Formats: sequence, C-alpha cells, structure tokens
Amino acid sequence: MKVLEAKNLNKYFYNPKKFKVLENLDLAVEKGDFVSITGKSGSGKSTLLYLLSTMDTDFEGSININGSEMQGRSNSWLADFRNHHIGFVFQFHFLLPEFSVLKNVMLPGLKRAAFPPQELEQKAMDLLKLLDVQDQALKRATLLSGGQQQRVAIARALINDPLILMGDEPTGNLDSKNTGLVFDLFKKLSAEKHQTMLIVTHDEEFAKNTGKTIHISDGRID
Amino acid sequence: MKKIVTDFKLAASIAFVHMGAKLKQTIIATIGVALGITIFVFMVGFIQGSQNYMQAIMFEQSPHLRLFNEVKLSDKTIIDKIYPHQINTLGHEKPKDIFLNLKDGKQAVKDIRKNPLVKTVSGSVSTKVFYRLGAVSINGTILGINFEEANALFNLESKIVSGSFTELATMPNSIVVGTGLAKKLNVKTGDKMELTTEKGANFSISVIGIFKTGLVDIDNQQSYGSIKTVQRFLNVPSSYLTEIQVKLFDLELAPDQAKKLQKNYNYSGSDWKKDNVTLLESAALQNMITYNVAGVILLIAGFGIFNILTMMIYEKMKDIAILKAIGFSNGDVRRIFLTQAFVIGIIGAFSGLIFGYLISYAISKMPYHSDVMFSLDHLPVSFNPLYYIMGFSFGILTTAVAGYLPSRKAAKVDPITILRG
Repeated sequence: MKVLEAKNLNKYFYNPKKFKVLENLDLAVEKGDFVSITGKSGSGKSTLLYLLSTMDTDFEGSININGSEMQGRSNSWLADFRNHHIGFVFQFHFLLPEFSVLKNVMLPGLKRAAFPPQELEQKAMDLLKLLDVQDQALKRATLLSGGQQQRVAIARALINDPLILMGDEPTGNLDSKNTGLVFDLFKKLSAEKHQTMLIVTHDEEFAKNTGKTIHISDGRID
Repeated sequence: MKKIVTDFKLAASIAFVHMGAKLKQTIIATIGVALGITIFVFMVGFIQGSQNYMQAIMFEQSPHLRLFNEVKLSDKTIIDKIYPHQINTLGHEKPKDIFLNLKDGKQAVKDIRKNPLVKTVSGSVSTKVFYRLGAVSINGTILGINFEEANALFNLESKIVSGSFTELATMPNSIVVGTGLAKKLNVKTGDKMELTTEKGANFSISVIGIFKTGLVDIDNQQSYGSIKTVQRFLNVPSSYLTEIQVKLFDLELAPDQAKKLQKNYNYSGSDWKKDNVTLLESAALQNMITYNVAGVILLIAGFGIFNILTMMIYEKMKDIAILKAIGFSNGDVRRIFLTQAFVIGIIGAFSGLIFGYLISYAISKMPYHSDVMFSLDHLPVSFNPLYYIMGFSFGILTTAVAGYLPSRKAAKVDPITILRG
C-alpha cells in the first residue's frame, strides 16, 4: 500500500535567479518502508524532503499522502495534517528551550488534543523510555547532551503515531557513537513497529543499511 | 468547538512560558501600559471634576435664558423717517435716554409661565448701588426678587450661610448680602447699614441673612432684596422689572427660545451658552489637551508592547519554525503572541485603573483653598465610571494594535528558511 506518492514534481528557486531544483520527479513510499534519500549537497534532496513534509507549498506537480492531495491546501489544513500524520526530525535537535523534555515531547500531542493530558504524559514517558532518556524527562531541554536531545526530538516526532517519520540529516550533527545509537533506534522502529521512515542523509554507511535508497543528483532520481 | 478551546489554551500556556522567560521585559511593558492608564484616568477625572464643579456653580447661578432691556441707538434716525429716499449721514448721535425696565414686564412673565417648555420663570429688578457703613462705601448691585420664584430658579435657600430669606418679603428694607461683601463691610445678620442709589437717594437697611454661591464675583458685590424694596429704592412703580429669567425643561432649546421671546416682546436677551461662552470654550480646549496628552501616553505604552513582542519574535524565530513543523498553524502562532499582548494589556489596564483611582482619591481628599474665581476648599475630582471604561478600552485598543503587527509577523515566519539554516 502506497503511503506517499509524488508525481511530476517540479521545484524552482527564484533567488538570486530562477533555477530548477527538482525536475519531473516521481517517487513512491510503501507502508513500512525504511527509505533513505542520498545525494551530494545541493542535489535537492533536502528540498524534496521539505516538499514531502508539506512545509514547503511552492511546487508544481502532485504529492499524495495517505490518499490526500497536498497541492493547493490551506496553511491551517496542512498544519493539521502535519500534526496528525508526519513526524519530523531535524539535523539540529530544535527543542524548545523554555520547556521541560517531557513537555517538548507532549507538545504535538497537546496540539492534536486526541487524548487527555494524563494519557499523553504516560505515552510520552513510554517513548522516552523506549529511547532511553526517561530519566531526563523533567529537566529543561537545554541541559541535555546533543545525543540525548536528538533522541528526545525523535520521541517528539513519534508522539502522534505518525504515518511517516521524516528526518533531515538526523545524525549529521552527532558523533559516531551517538550516530550508531540513533541509527539502531531507527532500525528498531522499522523492525518492531513497522514505522514508515524517510530519511535524508549523506552518510553512505547509514544509507546502505536502510531498506531502500533513493539517490538524487541535479534534481533527478538516478 | 472543543478543539478551538484547547487550541487557545495551548497557545496561552506557551505564551505564559514565553513571558515567564522574559519576565523583566514583560513587567516593564505592563508598567508602561499601567502608567498610561493611570495618568489618563487621573487627568480626565481631575479636569472633568473641576469643570463639572465650575459649571455646576455657574449654571446654577445663570438662568437658561434671560430677557432685559439695554441702551442702544435707534435703528432709524429721525432724518431717515422724514427723508426716507436719500442717504442721510448723522454724526455723533447720542443714545436715547430710556428706562431700563421691560415694557409690560409683568404681563410677559405671566405669558412665559404658560409656555409648556418653561420650567420656572422669575421677574426681577436690579440696580447698581453703594453699600455704606461708617466711612466705607462699596459699590455693588442689588437684585430685587420674588423669593419663591428666584429660589425655584437658583436654589437660593441652599446658599444661605447665616440668617434666612424668609423675612425678605415681609420686613421692609431688608436684604441678604454675599459673604465677601459682608466681610468687607464687617456686617453680620441683624446688623444695620446704609445704601445709596445711583440717583443719590439714601436708605437705612437691615441685613437679615448672608449667602455664598461660590462665585467670587457675585459673593463680593451682590445682595438680594424683595422686588418691592428695590422698586422703592429706585422710586419706580410696581410694574417695573429689569430682567426676566427663565429655566426650561430642556436647556438645549434655550438659544432658540431666547430668540423667539426677544422677537415677541421686543426685548434684548441672552442664553446660557452666550453668557458662559468663555467657560464652555475653555472646557472644550481643556478636554482636547487632556485627551491628546493621554493619547500620546497610551501610544508610548503601545510602543512598549510592540517593542517587547518584536524582540521576542526575533529571538524566537527558531521556536516558531519548530512549532509550525510539528503542526501549529499560522493562526496558532499568531494567537501565542496576541495572547502575550493581551495579558500585558489587560493586567496593565486593570492596575492602571486601580492606581488612577487611588491617586484621584488622594487628590480629592487634599485640602486646597482658592478664592480667585470659585471658592474651593479641596480639589474637585470626578469619579465617573465612564472615564474608567474609556481608559480601559483605550488601553486594550492600544494593546490590540501594538500586538497585532508583531504577531502577524510571527505568523508569516517561513519555517523552511529557518530550519534549513
């Protein structure tokens, strides 16, 4: 079953002058797939991910996630859709510094408001336990180490049981030990929870170990 | 519906965390608003209070409209009457010697009383006199009144300091004098003094009461007698009236009615708007200045809010992008920052109202003596709730405007440019 399908994607940058970043790109992700997107820097792989994540709406073509077309949707519809179906992990952890670790993880869930806060808190604690950072739950996010913060960010991405977990170089800012840890985590999620994942990386070692690799150069799939 | 409520709650909780992190700036911005509202409430209350006080005294002493006779040149000279078809020039024309009384004054009073628009009417005689006691001679005016009528018009009874008006009609040559005048002459209720009219006639009179209107001009030189007494001083018949004073049910109709009555009876006339033009003009000017100053202060307070929110948004660009990435819409982000603006605005406005009230109250209890134009023993301050409602709404309005622009900026933050670095 196709969870995500992109057809005829074209994307332009206009600054400093008009430049085609993605050209007639087609892509499909099956449910449970663990896909990595690789390519040189400037190849357009991150741009593609931001289109698929629904945050960038300025494109030509069609993106269909879980049977819904993304093209031409309003900002609030897309925000809601992201909240329900997409979890995102960035290169930098990007946690909110004023909030506790637990509150950071809970925020997307509080926004979704599908569960009462107590239940959500339990769920967040379970996720933190799964990612082995449960003992940090009540600390402020800024007090954690880089590897811990990235694991908390993954927990945040998973709190709403997303259809797809997307990552933009999630290990790019980590040392090799933490990279291995995070990668093992992704594998565990894929194997045990059949979590669909779409990860942009330039780490060939990482890509080799994923189920499927899409290589992009000059805005096309090789 | 439930979703909207939880959205608002979540936005508010994030807003409070932001404000907690920037507690100092938040408090300073709040104090800015509070200060603006405090000054607004106090200034408006104080200025309106003194205006109301002055106007209450002035208007109580002034009829809505009055009719009188005045010395004027005749419209047509006698030459014009004889040679109507040519241009006549006449130099140094002298005013006609006329009686200052109103022709058929008594009848006019009766007629005007029947007018359904008229509340009360009073005919009176006034003349310039010299009050004398021993070697001292002070000029002033004496007003001959029918006490019942004049009391209905000017509420004279409440102005009595000592003695009373009751014997005015029955006791011959009795008068009630103003406090200032009594002080200058050093007379008290029951004392006798002398009075000389313009024509030189002398009378012995007795003081049966002392009044105080609060208007220094009147208290220093005016006295009341009965119509009959004053007519006898002037040696004129009982039909002699110099002024008719009228109060209407609706004082806004006064200028119109004054014109109509002047035309009907061929008298001169005036109304409260004309009589108090300086007071009304200065009140309008004062109001303009007050509201402008208060507006500028609130504007500055608004800049305070604008400033702190704009700074906050520049600092929180990354956080805003993250919130958007995890599913917060533009509207949610706008709500977070608007909530901050409104919390600052509402807390600031409320404390401003409280402080404004406290300062106004303190000022109103402060002793302050003045005898320049109005007699005062403390500063009059108005506590009209309208000014408090106005201050609060101005505060919220400023906050809304000052909060709207930055929060719109926050809503427009593009998450991609920020998250990609």
